[in-house]
Amino acid sequence: MKFRKYFGLRFLTYLLTVWIGITFIFFIPRMFPSDPVENMIGQMQSRSGQMDPAQMDALRSQLRVQFGLEGSLIEQYFTFLWKGLLHFDFGPSLMSYPTPVGEIIGMYLPYTLFLSLTTTVIAWVIGNIIGLLAGFRKNKLSSKILEGVAICIYPVPYFIIALVLQIVFAFVLGWFPIQTTINTQGNFAVWFASLLKASILPALSMLLVGTGWWIISMKSLAGTTSEEDFVLFARYRGISEGKIGKNYVFRNSILTQVTALAMSLGGVFGGSIMTEIVFGYPGVGSLVQKAILMSDYNMILGCITISIVAISTATLIVDLIYPFIDPRIRYN
Amino acid sequence: MKKAMRSMLACVVALILVGTMFVGCSKPSATTETQTPEATKEASKETADGGETAAPTGEMTEVGTPRNETLIVECQSPTDTPGQFNSYMQGTTMGFGIHQLMSAMMWEIDTVKGEQFGEVADGMPVSNADFTEHTIKIRQGIKWSDGEALTADDVVFTFNMIMTNTGINQNAYYNQIFQSVEKVDDYTVKIVTKESFPRLAQRFGVTIWGNDLRIVPEHIYSKQADVTQFKDTEPVVAGPYTVKAYDELGKWILYERREDWQASTVGVVTGKQPQAKYVWFRNLGDDTSRQMSLINNEVDILCEVTPEMLEVMTAQNPNIACWYKDFPYATSDDPCSKGIAFSMGKGAPFDNKDFRWGVALAMNFDEISQNIFDGVGRSSPFPILTNTSAAQELYVKPILPWLEAFELDLGDGTTVKPFDSGYAERIAQVLRDKGYDISTDHETLIDMFGAGCWKYDPAAAEKLFIKAGLEKKADGWYFNGQPFTFNMSYLADTEAQAGRGTQAAYDQLTKFGFKINLVSESSATWSTNDVTGQYDIGGYWPTGFITKDIYSQINGWDGDLIVPVGERGSGQGTRWNNAKATDIIHQLAVLSPDDPKSYDLGLEFFKNAIEELPFIGFHSGVKFVPTNSTYWNNYPSADNPYNGPWWWWSCFKYITTEISPVK
Repeated sequence: MKFRKYFGLRFLTYLLTVWIGITFIFFIPRMFPSDPVENMIGQMQSRSGQMDPAQMDALRSQLRVQFGLEGSLIEQYFTFLWKGLLHFDFGPSLMSYPTPVGEIIGMYLPYTLFLSLTTTVIAWVIGNIIGLLAGFRKNKLSSKILEGVAICIYPVPYFIIALVLQIVFAFVLGWFPIQTTINTQGNFAVWFASLLKASILPALSMLLVGTGWWIISMKSLAGTTSEEDFVLFARYRGISEGKIGKNYVFRNSILTQVTALAMSLGGVFGGSIMTEIVFGYPGVGSLVQKAILMSDYNMILGCITISIVAISTATLIVDLIYPFIDPRIRYN
Repeated sequence: MKKAMRSMLACVVALILVGTMFVGCSKPSATTETQTPEATKEASKETADGGETAAPTGEMTEVGTPRNETLIVECQSPTDTPGQFNSYMQGTTMGFGIHQLMSAMMWEIDTVKGEQFGEVADGMPVSNADFTEHTIKIRQGIKWSDGEALTADDVVFTFNMIMTNTGINQNAYYNQIFQSVEKVDDYTVKIVTKESFPRLAQRFGVTIWGNDLRIVPEHIYSKQADVTQFKDTEPVVAGPYTVKAYDELGKWILYERREDWQASTVGVVTGKQPQAKYVWFRNLGDDTSRQMSLINNEVDILCEVTPEMLEVMTAQNPNIACWYKDFPYATSDDPCSKGIAFSMGKGAPFDNKDFRWGVALAMNFDEISQNIFDGVGRSSPFPILTNTSAAQELYVKPILPWLEAFELDLGDGTTVKPFDSGYAERIAQVLRDKGYDISTDHETLIDMFGAGCWKYDPAAAEKLFIKAGLEKKADGWYFNGQPFTFNMSYLADTEAQAGRGTQAAYDQLTKFGFKINLVSESSATWSTNDVTGQYDIGGYWPTGFITKDIYSQINGWDGDLIVPVGERGSGQGTRWNNAKATDIIHQLAVLSPDDPKSYDLGLEFFKNAIEELPFIGFHSGVKFVPTNSTYWNNYPSADNPYNGPWWWWSCFKYITTEISPVK
């Protein structure tokens, strides 16, 4: 009964968060002093010089109808709530009309997930293991060195690391492509090999920075936990260091990291814009950037809605499974 | 436990290292990255030692084609609609090689002469006396890539397809213009327009970049239930190349030369074979990646770069060059001059010509020129018409005596002659002092740096501002009793020439004593603010010049098209409301472009625009468009100007017949 109430309240908060977030994202781009129709006409003009005035008038009214920009904001909002929120149909992309937003996101999202999910999980695992060792045995030289390395790497913006990797391994040594090129000619093996090759440097840049953060945070958590009374008490009882590390320090420290991991996993749906720009890696981040510059309302809505839903859902899931992994919450 | 954890950590680290090394060490010769800058330098050394260096052989591109058979061309942005080649479907990225290599245009442009010629059309249209009936002959011998002949049926079908499909962008406009388009015989089409339309070829053929009329194969498109939803993934084309493969993420398209290229548009028009078997259009991402790719010979042709980028690239790879091999490197014939535009719809003082002339004379163009591209570029101070080499011959030189005699009334009984013809000699000397080898021939200097600029005369500028109603006080300029401040905006994302020009103008006018806010805008708001007139002075470029007849360049300046600031109209965003200019535009609208009176009216318009100065130009369009001659050479250049370096224009297909493999 208690859990049902907890679940009901939490689920209500979840729906409210998603609705508020999406409502903001619907209205904010429409308040920009920009216009997708004018952007498209401007782009056409900058390519082909002056456009015949009669043609411009005709094109302008035609595009407004096609883009669904007729009608009041409220009418557009309710249409969006029905289609976008309930059916995940965000309509056509205005910069790539009439291709549906869902189709374009569907093209890029797998690459974003492949890169970001993999690097986030690997960085989390490696970072927490090293961080635990460094925090639990903080007086050892190896722990200090590991912590020092992490502190050095973490503050470096990951696009700087990305640039360094690109210059060294792609430009100078020529081991990797400067820009992502995925060979779609040939069989699955050819495609996958080119994808893997193109993903190594972007992944490495994200992994290095990501790992640094997890090391620092876990080291701090493990260091604090290992000074708690119950750890000291365990030592007095003569429990082995290995067991203390695993059963007392690790299990207590990892709880915060699980929440942070869930947030990070939800965040990967937003893409990693700098990595995508530096390596030309396909992803949702650069899609959002382009959509903002082109005032593609539908694309902005589509990408950010997915991000909002993903982060909120990840947080909800963590909140719901927390009582199962932390008895203290269960008992309260 | 301790051991287990350490072992696990060691395993993870080892796996990452091995994985990285495995991929990193995989057969480098399989891709284009192998020709590193060091290798190129070495090759160049060999060239210096004797003879031409052969292009590296046996290498493959990342898309599996032989590198020495593949011309690699940069495309400025990726496409969001990969696999979509129907030019009448919204969102198709025509500049991704589609209109450069595959599209069939009715008329194309010779960018050197500034003259159109028939591509699908066999010659120019023949019109009746009042330009309402037009007969067009279709060129015989052109075949679609599936072997079907291109005939009048295809042309008639394309026009009617546009006019009957409301989902096609041009639909409403074509219905305004055309009464009927009918086939006379297999190779003749008759077009009837609703009103007099003397510029059929100019409007429906290529003059700049491309055109939105592209002939499609009737036998393919007529079978589609809705042509606006037909992606045309395996296009049947009349151009010399077809699609071999494309990236599903929109980053590249690989084109292959048609086996029957003789029957393509280019083959029939020129009889010449496009030399590259494959043309690979690819997007290269940010500027750093673009530079590295050209240095590493991973691309042969880049779109626009800045002079600083060019300097870095030429220093590292001697095979990289631009339009000129040495200074000034760039071509100044891009038909779009950059400078500053006034939002005259905002009223005084921007709508006052004395104010605009004051701004022109308050700026030192020599300094602006240095600030933009270190003095590179042909001065183009004139409003509306860009000073390309053709424009300089056709419009500027004929009015030079008038220009040199032209005077401005300063409002205090004195006058000033604003034209300064000494700019070319001055800037040449400045550059010689910097160590550049600059010609001393006057005509060469005029071609390189232009016929002149507006004089730097702060004293005259001050008088003009006072005449325009401004007041100079100890703490700055006032207008209508209030401190006078205004905004100067520029596009931040792209167009370095325009952005630097505006910043340089801001420096000059600030130095003169104005209080100005410099506003950097993203492309999200730039176009909207232009059309609604929401700026004071902006680095817009409502300019151009390509053909002798300037009607299509100036018809947007018709005062009748002006709408209030804040609204979206079809005229120019600056809202220059000039009765004389409007009258000339109306007269030109019903004259043939070949009528001598059209040219005279063009000159009259030009002089009127100079007197009113609705726009202050700095340079004509200066383009640094580098090429790499490691694998391919004979690109168009100043030494061999068979075409302009416009890789993104539809006329690129004619350039492909000249670009040759390095033997």
